[in-house]
Parts: sequence; structure tokens; C-alpha cells
Amino acid sequence: MLFNSIDFAIFLPIIFVLYWFVTNKNLKLQNFLIVSASYLFYGWWDWRFLSLILFSTIVDYSIGILLSKENKKKNRLILLWVSILINLGFLGFFKYYNFFLDNFSTAFTFFGADIKTDSLNIILPVGISFYTFQTLSYTIDVYKRKLEPTKDFIAFSAFVSFFPQLVAGPIEKATNLLPQFYKKRTFESEKAIDGIHLILWGLFKKIVIADSCAIYVNEIFSNYESMNSLSLLLGAIYFAFQIYGDFSGYSDIAIGTSKLFGIDLMRNFAFPYFSRDIAEFWRRWHISLSTWFRDYLYIPLGGSKVSKLLSFRNIFIIFIVSGFWHGANWTFIIWGCLNAIYFIPLFLTKRNRNNLNIVSQGKIFPSFHELISMLTTFVLVSIGWIFFRADAISIAINYIKKLFSFNFDNGLQYLSIERYAPELMLLISCFILVEWHSRAQEHPFFGTWRNFKLISALVGLITLGVYSNVTDFIYFQF
Amino acid sequence: MAHFTKYLISILIGTLCLLYVCDFIYTQVYLHSNPRNKLQYILNTTGEHFDTVFMGSSRVANHVDTKLFDSKSNSKTINLGVEGAGLNDNLLQLKLLISNNTISKVFLQIDTNFESDTPSNIAISEAMPFLNQNKIINNHIKTYLNNSTKLECIPFYRYAINDPKIGFREMFFSVFNKKPKTDPSIGFTPKLGNRRPLIQYKLPKAIKNKNSVLEEIIHICLKNKIRLITYISPYCSKIENRDYIAKLKTKIPNLIDLSKGYDDTLFFNCGHLNNEGAKIFTNNLYDVTKNKY
Repeated sequence: MLFNSIDFAIFLPIIFVLYWFVTNKNLKLQNFLIVSASYLFYGWWDWRFLSLILFSTIVDYSIGILLSKENKKKNRLILLWVSILINLGFLGFFKYYNFFLDNFSTAFTFFGADIKTDSLNIILPVGISFYTFQTLSYTIDVYKRKLEPTKDFIAFSAFVSFFPQLVAGPIEKATNLLPQFYKKRTFESEKAIDGIHLILWGLFKKIVIADSCAIYVNEIFSNYESMNSLSLLLGAIYFAFQIYGDFSGYSDIAIGTSKLFGIDLMRNFAFPYFSRDIAEFWRRWHISLSTWFRDYLYIPLGGSKVSKLLSFRNIFIIFIVSGFWHGANWTFIIWGCLNAIYFIPLFLTKRNRNNLNIVSQGKIFPSFHELISMLTTFVLVSIGWIFFRADAISIAINYIKKLFSFNFDNGLQYLSIERYAPELMLLISCFILVEWHSRAQEHPFFGTWRNFKLISALVGLITLGVYSNVTDFIYFQF
Repeated sequence: MAHFTKYLISILIGTLCLLYVCDFIYTQVYLHSNPRNKLQYILNTTGEHFDTVFMGSSRVANHVDTKLFDSKSNSKTINLGVEGAGLNDNLLQLKLLISNNTISKVFLQIDTNFESDTPSNIAISEAMPFLNQNKIINNHIKTYLNNSTKLECIPFYRYAINDPKIGFREMFFSVFNKKPKTDPSIGFTPKLGNRRPLIQYKLPKAIKNKNSVLEEIIHICLKNKIRLITYISPYCSKIENRDYIAKLKTKIPNLIDLSKGYDDTLFFNCGHLNNEGAKIFTNNLYDVTKNKY
């Protein structure tokens, strides 16, 4: 079920009413409703893969219980590895089987051994990368004794399958989300209203910004060979905003929906394009994934508290794994490597934690230095996004080559979508101004002009939204 | 909860009001602005007499140099070819045109459009602003829509789902009377240059038994004493299943076959002549038809 669909618009109010008016007296029943609603939400896409979520839930619940009874370090470690292998095994099979098969086959062919491989026609279960990491966080935290294992199977199922964030995050740590299912939730009007605002802003980002950008991006990337440098530059900028609008829009809707049910999810995006360096960007982009990798991979590997060489290795590992997490394609791995290369100089010069505050806090305009820093970071990030968007590395390299050929023949190109390439910059510029104005908040609907902003967003949603071609959220494919 | 419910209801009511207001504004703009497409042009034209009307798809819009035909025939000519249009769209154009104007001759280009008798998405999109205002459009299009109730009853729905053609951008340009790329009163949109290499174009292997829309066009022309001339435009040499044209001629005995005899250098792509090719073709079409009709 898509957040931007009529199905969800009917589903959400029904669950909301049942949650607060029918099951509100009984916590177990309320959690059971969450689980049932979540399974319905997921099964709407493909009910067959519900068995995967259920299996993953049973495995990690049981391992949690076994860990609570086990004191021997060795046995505890075995239990942890069972959970890791089962969870990552599923992920590996569904997401990476064909990738590894193709690459092994290519490698053997390269060395003269011609082996025959049959790739499988595997459907990637939506959200598998997200809920796998979420359940793993539980087992790891229980193993590390940071969290008491739960005996409440329904609460644990609700934690694994909570529908607002099931298919595309934020990836919640068990220490944050699970305890919320133990407590009775009370309805708070202000929190629910805030949730509605987040849902509205998320829909705006998805339907107005991301989907508008998608039309131009698809046209420019599909025909990049006939585009001049200006159109290619715009294509890269539009994709940067498409992926931001799409994914942060989804996160906002997820967080907003959770608030309607009295559940707080972690923030996933904090205006990443106002970052002054790449380290700050990664503290503001897909925060839940970055935090997950930091806590469960980078720190266990030694983080930065090891020799320089090992620190480099750790940095490369988390960026490459992060790239690979996004998809089974070399383009994502290159994207990860590129970000590691951007990050290393900051790490070497110990400037990776320079920009921890909000840029130009309390000021209307940024300083010249801040502006240049933000633009430089945006350019670097956008170059990385070209690899992320391209179907193959060679396409990305050719795109970048053509972009930097500074060929401006045909000036402002008129695209076959019957629009001039730069037209969308008007909308993007307005969006940047709104985001800049609200960079210290979660959404723009605050202050004395709140109602005016709300009406403007509604008018924008009605008149500027793309409804002719309803698209999936990009991160569903990860 | 009461506070939240009140707030939610106010947002829902506000949204509904905005939908009505936007629908009203868009409709008024399209009803009263200068025409930016051929359908709007037809709707805005009353009491005119056209000697020659060209109808068809982009293979009319790109091929018939209206001014050249005008000067050669010394008659009032209009090119109503629309990219992606089918015979059903031409039928709607004809119905609308004769409701307020008179016509002597219609040149109808027929090729693979013979295979379809439903309206194109472009025609549906462009007709949407007039759905509740124009009976001819309403009666014509309604039969083909499976969401006509939603389109008529939900405010702004028709504009939202047709946003590429009648969305904010088009409405904005209409408000400020921005001239369209093609003047709809002339209608000729030449293609420039040559796309190389020419990619092979496949015609269908089989042909439909009959096209009810074409029969209706013939009937309307007969009833209104309009001379109907059917012809097929040129294709480049890299055409597959050329015998489709022979099959088409058995279905439409009077079809003038102009599909051959044009050098590949005159093509923008395999189905469309470039500007130079369009001039030669217009001359040729005039010469072939001047004494016959």
C-alpha cells in the first residue's frame, strides 16, 4: 500500500478510529491491532512475503528469549550469529543472489573458465533491508545486554512490523521503539496535529517536488547523449531533489503517521542540503541508517579509536556497505566509495565534527563562507548521485564527462516532455527558500504564519502535484 | 480528541473548498483565454467557412504546409493534425467544427490509426475543461471513460489526472496569453533536420476488419455535403510490412497512396518528413488532388 494512494487514505482513518476508540482500553489488543494493520498494509503489496516477516519475527523473538537464559559467552555468541546469518541470509538471497552469481560468472570467464549460470527470477520483498536491520538491532542490543529481551510476542511483532516505517524506515533501534509498545498510549492532540502537519509536508515533498523532478530526470538521464552541459547539470540537480523529496517525504509521512498513534520515531532527515561538509551531510541524510552503521558496524570495528590505517579501512567499510545496502549494483558501491573519498580528508584533518550546529542559526542569510561550503558539498553530493541514478558505471562516467565538456549548444533545451529543461528550477528555488526558513524545525508549519503556510501547501499539493503518473517511493526498491 | 477532530475537519473542509475554487478558476481560464491548442481553437471559432481542413496525427501536423497549400489552392485551409491523435479524435474535431462552421473539403490522413477507434489521451486531456460545458464533448467522450462520474463530480479531479496537458503550467500560460509553439489557426509544425540513422518502422501485419469511427466520419461528411479525401502520408524506405498499405487500400478504396517516392534525406525520422520534405509533399498532394476533387 502506498502512502500516496486512495487505499491508504481509507486504511489510515479506519485503523485510527479502531485504535483510539475500540482497542484503547486494552494495551495488548491495541498492539494486536497494530500488528494486524501492519500485516494487512504489507500484504496489500504481496501477501506471500508476510511469511518472511513472521519468520524473522519468530527467530529474533526466540533468540532474544534464549539469550536471556544463556550466560555462557560462547553460547551467546553462537545465538547472535544464528540470528545474523538467518536475517542476512534472507537479505542476501533475495537481494544479492543474482548479483554475486553474475559477478562470479564474469570473473571465471575473465580467467578463461566458462561456467554456465542460471540467474533466478527473484522478486525483492519490499522493505526487507529495513526490517532486517531493525530486528538485528534488537538481537545485538540484547546480546550486548543493552536491552532486556521481551516476552511479549505481540509487542515484539508490532516493533518489527509497525506499518508506518515497515517498508522504508526510519530504521528504528529496539531501544527506542520497542519500549513504546509496552506502555499505554494516551492521545495527545498537539502531537497528532503535528503528525498531520508532517504527513502534509511529506506528501508535498513526494507529490510536488520528487514526482515533478522525476519527469525531468527520466527524460534527461534517458537521453543524456543528446543533452548539453546545462541540461545535464539540471538533470543532476533535479535528481538530488527527487531523491531527497521522495525519501525524506516518505520519512515525514511515516513519522507523522506514527504520531497519530502516539508513537515517536526518530528523525531521518535534517535538511541535508544545507550541510557545510560531507561529514555533516551524513549526519543529516538517512540518519537512521547512518546511526545503525555507526553503532553496529563502525564502532564494533574500532571506529576512529584505532590506528590511522584501520580507521581508513573502517571508513571505507561503512561507506561501501552503505552503498551495497542500497542495491546489488556496482554503481551503488562506487557511490559509497566516492563518499568515503570525500570524507577521508575531513577525517585526516580532524574537521569531520566541525559543523554540529544548525547553519546560520538565528540569522536570515548565510555568510559567504557558509554559502560556498554548502554549495561545494551539494556539488560533491550531486556527483555521487549521478552514480546512484545511472544504470551502469559507464553511463555515469559518460554523463559526468559530457557535463564537464561545457558544451552549451542549443542553450536552454526544449525536452520531449514539452518543457524547457530549466523551468523546474523555479519550483526548486521556492522549495529551498521554504526549507531554509524552517531549517531549525521539523516542518514549515510553525509560527504566526502557520495557517497561511498550510493553505499554501494545500494549494501547492492540489495544483502542482503530479497525479497523472503515481509512482512508487524510490527507497521501496532497497 | 475534540480539538484534533475539529482541526482535522477544518483541514478537510478547507481542502474541499480549495478544490472547488481551483476547478472554477481553471475552467474559467480555459473557457475565456486565447486558444493554445487546436481543440480550443475549434471551440472558439464560429461562423467561419473553411475550404480545406486537414485532419490526422503528427503525420499531418508535420507534413502539410498550410500556408503553401493555401497559396497554391487559393482557398482557406487549416491543418488540424495533432501529435498522437487517432481517428476518434478527428471525429470529435469534425463534430465540433461543423457545429458552428461550414467546410467544403476534409483531407483525412489514414495509416495505422485505422487500427484504433478510441480517443487518445491527448484528446481526452484537452477536452477535460469543457466536459461540463460542451454537450458535444460530453456526449462524445463520456462513452469511452470509465471514470466519468469521478471526472464530473470530484472537483479538480479532471485537471489533476491530466496535469501534463491542462495542469498548472498550461493554465498559467493561458492566463498570460502566452503564444503556443504552434499557432493553432495555421497548425503546421515542421520537423527540422534528420535523425540519423533512420530506425526501421514496423507497420502492423494484420489489419482490422473495419473502423466504426471512420464510417461515422464518412457518414457525417455525406450528411453535411463535405467532400472527404483520404490519403496516406510517406514513410521512409526502412519500412517493414509494407503490404499493410495494400490491405488498407482494400478497406478504403479511394485512399490516395502517397506512402512511397520520397528520398530518405527528406525524413526527420521514418514516419515524419522534415521541413523540406513537407514542402515537397504539400506540393505533391496539391498536384495529385487538384483536378480530381
